[in-house]
Amino acid sequence: MRAIAFYGKGGIGKSTLASNIAAALSCEGIKTILIGCDPKADSTINLLGRRIRPLLEVMRDEKRPPPEHFTAIGFNGVVCVEIGGPEPGVGCAGRGLIIGIRYLSEILDLEKFDLVIFDVPADIVCGGLAVVVKEGYAEGALIVTSDEFMSLYAANNLCRGFMSIGAKVGGLVYNRASESGMRYVASFSQKVDLPILGLVPISEEIKIAEARRKTLIEMNPFSNVSAMLVSLAHSIYENRFSAVPKWISADDLECMFLESA
Amino acid sequence: MVETSVIMHPRPSPTAAAMYTLRDLDVDVIVIHGPSGCCFRPARLLEKDGVKVVTSALLEDDFVFGSEGKLAKILKRVDELFKPKLIGLVGSCASMIIGEDLKKAAREAGVLHKTICCDVHSGSGDNTIGAIIALREAASMGFISLSEFERQKKMLEMATMLERTRGTARGEYIENRQGDLPREVARKILDVLSAGGKVTCVLNAKKETAFLYADIILAVYEASRRLGGRVQVLANLAPDIGLPRVRSYSKKILERFFREGVIVDSLTGGLDEYPLAGERAKDLILQSPPDLAVISGIPHAVQVERVVRTVAVSVGARAVANLKLLGYDYVVGERDAHQLSLGRNKDIQKSLLGQAIRKGMGR
Repeated sequence: MRAIAFYGKGGIGKSTLASNIAAALSCEGIKTILIGCDPKADSTINLLGRRIRPLLEVMRDEKRPPPEHFTAIGFNGVVCVEIGGPEPGVGCAGRGLIIGIRYLSEILDLEKFDLVIFDVPADIVCGGLAVVVKEGYAEGALIVTSDEFMSLYAANNLCRGFMSIGAKVGGLVYNRASESGMRYVASFSQKVDLPILGLVPISEEIKIAEARRKTLIEMNPFSNVSAMLVSLAHSIYENRFSAVPKWISADDLECMFLESA
Repeated sequence: MVETSVIMHPRPSPTAAAMYTLRDLDVDVIVIHGPSGCCFRPARLLEKDGVKVVTSALLEDDFVFGSEGKLAKILKRVDELFKPKLIGLVGSCASMIIGEDLKKAAREAGVLHKTICCDVHSGSGDNTIGAIIALREAASMGFISLSEFERQKKMLEMATMLERTRGTARGEYIENRQGDLPREVARKILDVLSAGGKVTCVLNAKKETAFLYADIILAVYEASRRLGGRVQVLANLAPDIGLPRVRSYSKKILERFFREGVIVDSLTGGLDEYPLAGERAKDLILQSPPDLAVISGIPHAVQVERVVRTVAVSVGARAVANLKLLGYDYVVGERDAHQLSLGRNKDIQKSLLGQAIRKGMGR
């Protein structure tokens, strides 16, 4: 069983990539579960075409719900779960994730899957959001980034967090890629000692698929971007997740940007 | 050797301090917004003192999803059940860390105008911070004057400094210690009186704990009547300082002293002024040093241990160890002063040392 976690700046496309990777690998017979860890509970929409009731909400009513009360089967048999969490501005999303993941790993036999994907919200802003890699639910993390400064800034913070907790990282996934932006991501990749596992360009097709609540793999499996997603999925699935990243100071990151510009 | 700047032994909680202060402000009910086990012991003690204490009994779901709505419901229910004139509301580590808004819940419940909301938890810092938070909120709502708030704040800051310099907050780790046997210490006091010597009794107590320590003065006075010697009494029992509840403690003890024929030679301050009163007591002792000073309550506020022979009386095995380390000659650890002195009908309680003195003189 492989278990990996997607991290990256909020809005960078983690859920889009996670659901497309799950869809791509499921097409090759890889038994996959996608576990959305964002309180917004929207990681699995594109696999299911709808929202599902998050585990934490179900647990409020049932305390120890059976798997069928919070799991759903999505595109091509991908099992979907949303951990969920509080409304914006109240409660503690980190604590929710800790409770949800612990229960999930107790009640679900994750070993029966070939691939477990955790889609984790934002960067590691608190201990709760680090629990997926910190407590070993995922064997390693992927960092999704674009070539924008703030995205790489968040990626750098993630490297720092993973380094401090000793978490293993597979590499960077370059989303919304462009030829002109590659130099920033390549330079960052070198400095933090992480490979770029693949890239996905800015794509109208993906936007349209998402508007239809589908993955691109489902909507248009033979497009060029789908081919890139499949290639990325292979890189991820075959990755050994053995790197402990370095990180650089904010000043160095700014210099890197200026030099690459 | 690894040294830390952390005080590793357990310390009093700011939340508990806020609760005691709310009691002093005469709230009818205290609501703890936290798990049901938070501040369980102070809650029980305060209930003994006639204050109703309830909890919002937070559980994991409440931490995750927030619980301002639940708190509002509890406040409404409290209002229905107890019809309180004044409510005290304190936070807890769990509710404050997740950013709960106490005032919002009180507003939603329609009780904000009569609820003193204390945004406090056990990681807020020194325990006195909890008391200051409660007093500041009471002042902002007009329940106490600004000048009374400023006076109490100054005292609490002095108390904090005292604890850091001479109290149990001064060391990385202070061992527990049992102290000297009350009967042996009583014998030292009786010997001084029998020899015609002067014993100065200093009551330097914190609020209701005076009801326990005042017994030592009664016992020494009684012994002096039978055995001779002279007794000087310095006490922080000024009946015109502090909140009405605290003033009433002073009045009650002074009335009892009057009935028992005990003369207080000098009032060193109010019952919430022990850091300042301790300095005044020290000055008076230095003006006319006794053969033995028996200092009870917060003895480390009366810094005379290197100047005259001293008996220090306090509570808690760690406080006892600290007093020994400071150099007080004899140290007696009393039973829990809060436990003994809380209750609706307050009166002077029998102390271990007081009883040992009475027994030692054949009573």
